[in-house]
Amino acid sequence: MNSPHPSEPLSRTLADWRVVPHRNPQFRAEVAQRIAAARRAPTWTGYIRARGPLVAGALTIAMVLGAWGGRERARARDAAARDALVAEYVHGLDARWMRLP
Amino acid sequence: MKNLLLTFGILAAVCGLSYGAFYVMSREPAAVQKAVREGDAMAWLRTEFQLDLPHYAAIKKLHADYSDVCAGHCAAIQAAQKRTAPPAEIAALEKTCVAAMTEHFKRVAALMPPGQGERYLAIVLPRIADFDHRGAPNVRVKS
Repeated sequence: MNSPHPSEPLSRTLADWRVVPHRNPQFRAEVAQRIAAARRAPTWTGYIRARGPLVAGALTIAMVLGAWGGRERARARDAAARDALVAEYVHGLDARWMRLP
Repeated sequence: MKNLLLTFGILAAVCGLSYGAFYVMSREPAAVQKAVREGDAMAWLRTEFQLDLPHYAAIKKLHADYSDVCAGHCAAIQAAQKRTAPPAEIAALEKTCVAAMTEHFKRVAALMPPGQGERYLAIVLPRIADFDHRGAPNVRVKS
């Protein structure tokens, strides 16, 4: 919609305004390079294959650490529960611990 | 970067799975766990030391018989404490109690399968030294 009293300086400025983009002669080449690089990005399996020994070592360490941690946690838990029961069992037969009703 | 993160994620998952598997495999047998969880010392004895029914029954009877002996020692110690008997007298009563208890544990061990008796004594005998003269609530072996 046209304004009945357009702002003359602004209209003139807008009418005269031209966008002059900076030319980049490498633009096409750079886009092509980025597309090619994306195509060359390794898949995860390729990434793993390229670092086979390192990944195998890390997997072994992760498994050993997990196994050790799980075993120690289970043993500690069982030992604590068993110790409490054994203490109760022995003290239950120890007259020095008893209090007659 | 994405591949590196994925790799770390898989390593963490492997570590977690290994932890869980070894945790489950390393726990005590279910029957022992149940006895311990329920605080059932006699069930624990039966499962932990692989007692068959006749030996279990014999040990149960030994415990029941010893409870009377133990109650006698308890009464004597408490009576001595009540009349503030000389410490030497209380110590002598406690010594009698320890000797009787040790003998009782050895009799129990003798009823266990080969190898288990020694294991039982190695577990219970050090506990006799736990006593610290501070007293404790009245605890009895469940039968």
